[in-house]
Amino acid sequence: MSAPGSQSPVAPDERPGLGESGNDPLVLLELIQRLKVRDVMTADLVTLPRDASMRQAQELMRQKKISGVPVEEKGRFFGLVSIDDIIRALVAGTIHESCGRHMTTKLVVLEDDMPLSFALRYFDRYHYGRFPVLNRDRRLVGIICQRDINRALLVELTRELQRLESVSVQRGGEGAAGSLYLLREFPICKYDFENAGKAANQIKQVLQEKKFATKVIRRIAVAAYELEINLCVHSDGGVLSWQVSSGRAEVIARDAGPGIEDVEWACRDGTSTANEWIRSLGFGAGMGLVNVRRVSDEFEITSKKGSGTTVKAVIYIEGGAA
Amino acid sequence: MTMSEVAEVLQAEVLVKGDGLLRRVGHVMASDLMSDVLLVDEEDMLLLTSLASDQVLRTAQIVGAVGVVVVNGKPLPSSMVNVANDLHMTLATSRLSKYDACVAVHAARHPL
Ligand SMILES: Nc1ncnc2c1ncn2[C@@H]1O[C@H](COP(=O)(O)OP(=O)(O)O)[C@@H](O)[C@H]1O
Ligand SMILES: [Mg+2]
Repeated sequence: MSAPGSQSPVAPDERPGLGESGNDPLVLLELIQRLKVRDVMTADLVTLPRDASMRQAQELMRQKKISGVPVEEKGRFFGLVSIDDIIRALVAGTIHESCGRHMTTKLVVLEDDMPLSFALRYFDRYHYGRFPVLNRDRRLVGIICQRDINRALLVELTRELQRLESVSVQRGGEGAAGSLYLLREFPICKYDFENAGKAANQIKQVLQEKKFATKVIRRIAVAAYELEINLCVHSDGGVLSWQVSSGRAEVIARDAGPGIEDVEWACRDGTSTANEWIRSLGFGAGMGLVNVRRVSDEFEITSKKGSGTTVKAVIYIEGGAA
Repeated sequence: MTMSEVAEVLQAEVLVKGDGLLRRVGHVMASDLMSDVLLVDEEDMLLLTSLASDQVLRTAQIVGAVGVVVVNGKPLPSSMVNVANDLHMTLATSRLSKYDACVAVHAARHPL
């Protein structure tokens, strides 16, 4: 990913973004993790070649009611002409000159298989109106703006709501009897070392506030931490969820890929597929799953190469919170 | 010994005071492997490490460590101070090598 471009980002505001406070609705958190940038972006692109004039760009933006035109030739992405660029060209009297000359080239781009949560973080961080989207081969495949995200989330939330309504009708409201005490989910992004471990730290803090026994807190926190790190370094991204209810704490790590070839092998002490880089960061000793099993009263792992991995750790809590 | 006394023995510079400075250090662990650290069952441990990353602090919080001392005078990424502050984790750096740091703590605890 390239560095932030020439437009100066506005100072970030202090409110946490979606998925950062731990208080966002679960459905939403799951959605922004499950949806990929490609599911949300506009793929039907209007583009111009480098030798088109800025005037043409201006005209195109007016006609299509868009605020930026990607400059592209045969899938190769060169830059973006934004309204700012047009205004600058008008002021400087260079509106008849080529887009190739006056487009913005220092751009922050997204990749199409990144989770939506990633895109949201970028909108928060850089305050640009839109990001070009490239695929693995660095070809331009779309453009994403906040409006695309809002639309996609509304559609998905409506769908989810309908599903939940039909489920709750089937259950006939037996939910209250379960006496759920705490439940939270954290989306975990691949290689996001800015945040890796944060969810487990928060889980520990909450349990301390609720005055659970020190030993129990440690076991839950260790399981959460190892599973969170595994999501970060081994999966393509996933969700770490945990809940505490009537006498047990459950920590569940779920992801949609790449899956584990040989689960039995992966659960052995000292076996790891981590590369040199991961090991230089202090992970990849192959003890993670062993550690999780050691602190758990129940341990379950299901995985399939090519699909995903789910690991569930259950820790019994005698007496619950003090 | 308290964490602040250990810091002195290690000629360490305390970057974040956190909650640990006056706590007693009962155990010292020197490791660069996070899973190893998570195996420790003591609540009054000091972590000596040559890794300078946020995850060292996050791991230390999980096991309730008294503090983290990064050895070898490694320069720390600026994020570490923020994370240590967030977690109230005592953070210090020492110019000593991991080995010399262990020797120094041991000598201070068991004077000849
Ligand atoms: N969520 C996951 N997705 C894919 N592979 C995983 C996942 N979790 C664990 N693995 C595999 O299991 C191996 C062992 O995991 P673990 O015991 O935590 O050790 P380590 O993380 O140090 O490699 C990993 O090296 C990886 O190959
Ligand atoms: Mg692991």
